[in-house]
Amino acid sequence: MNTQARPLESIAGFAALLREHGLKVGVSEQQAMVTAALRLPVERASRLDAAWRAIACHGVRDWQRWPDLFERYWHPERTKGSARMSGQTRSGRHLQQLVKSLHDSLDRGAPSARPGSADAALQAPAADPDKPDEQGLSRAQGGATRADALHDRSLSMWLPQDLAQLERLAERIAQTLRKRLTRRWHDSPTGRRLDVRRTLRASLRTGGLPVHPVWRSPRRERPRLFILVDVSRSMATHAQLFLRIARAFVTAMDARVFVFHTRLAEVTPLLRSDSVAVQEKVNAVTAGFGGGTRIATSVADFHAVHARAQLTRQARVWVLSDGFDADEPQCLADALARVRGRGARITWFHPAEQAPASQAMQAVAAHGGLVERFLRLNSLRDLAAVAEHLR
Amino acid sequence: MTEAELRESLYRAGYIADEGLATTLWLAGELQRPLLVEGDAGVGKTALASALARAHGRTLVRLQCHEGLDLSQAAYEWNYGRQLLAIRLHETQADRVKEADLFARDYLLERPLLQAISSDQPCVLLIDEIDRADEAFEAFLLEVLADYQITVPELGTLHAKHIPQVVLTSNGTRELSDALRRRCLYHYIEYPTLAREIAIVRATLPQAESALVEQAVAFVQRLRREDLGKTPGVAETLDWVRALHRLTFKALPDDPHALMATLACLLKTREDRFQLGEDRVRQLIEGRRTVGVAEKAPQPS
Repeated sequence: MNTQARPLESIAGFAALLREHGLKVGVSEQQAMVTAALRLPVERASRLDAAWRAIACHGVRDWQRWPDLFERYWHPERTKGSARMSGQTRSGRHLQQLVKSLHDSLDRGAPSARPGSADAALQAPAADPDKPDEQGLSRAQGGATRADALHDRSLSMWLPQDLAQLERLAERIAQTLRKRLTRRWHDSPTGRRLDVRRTLRASLRTGGLPVHPVWRSPRRERPRLFILVDVSRSMATHAQLFLRIARAFVTAMDARVFVFHTRLAEVTPLLRSDSVAVQEKVNAVTAGFGGGTRIATSVADFHAVHARAQLTRQARVWVLSDGFDADEPQCLADALARVRGRGARITWFHPAEQAPASQAMQAVAAHGGLVERFLRLNSLRDLAAVAEHLR
Repeated sequence: MTEAELRESLYRAGYIADEGLATTLWLAGELQRPLLVEGDAGVGKTALASALARAHGRTLVRLQCHEGLDLSQAAYEWNYGRQLLAIRLHETQADRVKEADLFARDYLLERPLLQAISSDQPCVLLIDEIDRADEAFEAFLLEVLADYQITVPELGTLHAKHIPQVVLTSNGTRELSDALRRRCLYHYIEYPTLAREIAIVRATLPQAESALVEQAVAFVQRLRREDLGKTPGVAETLDWVRALHRLTFKALPDDPHALMATLACLLKTREDRFQLGEDRVRQLIEGRRTVGVAEKAPQPS
């Protein structure tokens, strides 16, 4: 590819690469990129990086991904250890050359007079903005295929986009959890009940005419979610996945997360902040545990101390555990019955194929109606599959 | 104005912008596109807009967004009181008031968006914390930001006399719509580097001792790497250095006890205060390195 000869094609190729990586770069963004290159003098071509970044990025994720993508396309020689994106031989791209040839072609009035060339994609507003041009796409793809993000890969192989996928999934599940009407009312322009007192008050400034009626509607609240994650030794391999999932729900719907082995501890504040140190701490917490399990004691502690006033009919309690309990078998059923007695709905997630069948769990099953559902959860795919059952 | 000149005039206006930000601002002016600025609280998003207004010598029109913000607070509202008064006045007189007279520009109360659109001079429009406004308001904003016009049903469409330079800020409390994002240029403001933050503090507080500024900023930079609930921004650094200067410190004291009371300027939650005991503060003053969660153990001699 010679940048000097076909600058617009180079930019189209870059836009295709950006689209490949999830940046929303349509025709208008591509045209803005060309305009920015034309407005910048040749000697300041290095500023194109910042200018194009402002045009092509629409969020923090795009912003953080940009330097890598820019370097990879425009300065592939600086990128160490990366595979070439296509089989074609390609000379290095040079931004200053690109800007210069763009300016030259503008002087000649060339760009608009080439409807048959690949650069015509930039001038074709009728083209689908979300569909990259074929030539640029084929080069950027280099024969690679899109991987299914809802995979069964182990945690160590998770990529940043998998975490993003998890977050989106958590958002979706949070949306599907049924909102309940409360007895509280709030201001709403689409409400159906007239707030007479406030309407009269507002009418004072219009001489008594109720020009600004104040409407109210009942408030709907999302259920309060509590997640109890088992981090005992038997769950050591699954605890990390569960904590990541729990963390996604903390972000999505402000869930409260507890970990337990022989004791119960709340980790919501740890999960709320997003830093490497926090992840290390969570890992340290899970690694430091790995002893026995006292689920019944932990659930009783959760009920009596931590979630006392918040356990109402609005509450959902998710227990992420394999169900092996060192307490007396009947204790777990009693503890869960107290939680259920407050109206909270309990869902049990287990990593194995079959629902847990330990003595304690048999007692729970015999009690009947304590746990609303037993669902398998061992990967992102499982989470996507159970999403429809969570209400 | 080139981006270098813009950067220089921003500096004179008291805002130290890096090259990338200056280029983005220049491009926003060239393409006449709104600029969406995101970043943590206290990194200088709002200050950017006011500095931009000062740098260009334009007025700043500010719209502070909040939940429930509607058209009557953001764009325009009819002055009902005055309309009623006009009707009553005309009732006492022989002439009758026409409806069209009551819906004239005289009776229109201009709120920030309309003010920016109908301003006789070019201005900078700051739409602050757009993520706090409702989605319905965001949809209304699309017309304003795309075509720089506002439609008032009784009057028709009002076009901008001068296209304002629009800066939107967001703290990321709510995900903004793709439609809004795609109409804007985007810039994410990170916490400043050590050198840039020192320059910012020196520019704002020239009277503070140089050693104090350098040590205090280095302390805050180390503090930002801690696992805090609320990471201190540039505004907090400025507050803290100002407080230390008022307390006549020439440099950071070795004894953390003297600093503890002033940390209220930096730490804004109970958990953060609890987490940062005197020992940890001493370590941060000394700039001791940590590895992972635990402090690096001294090597046995």
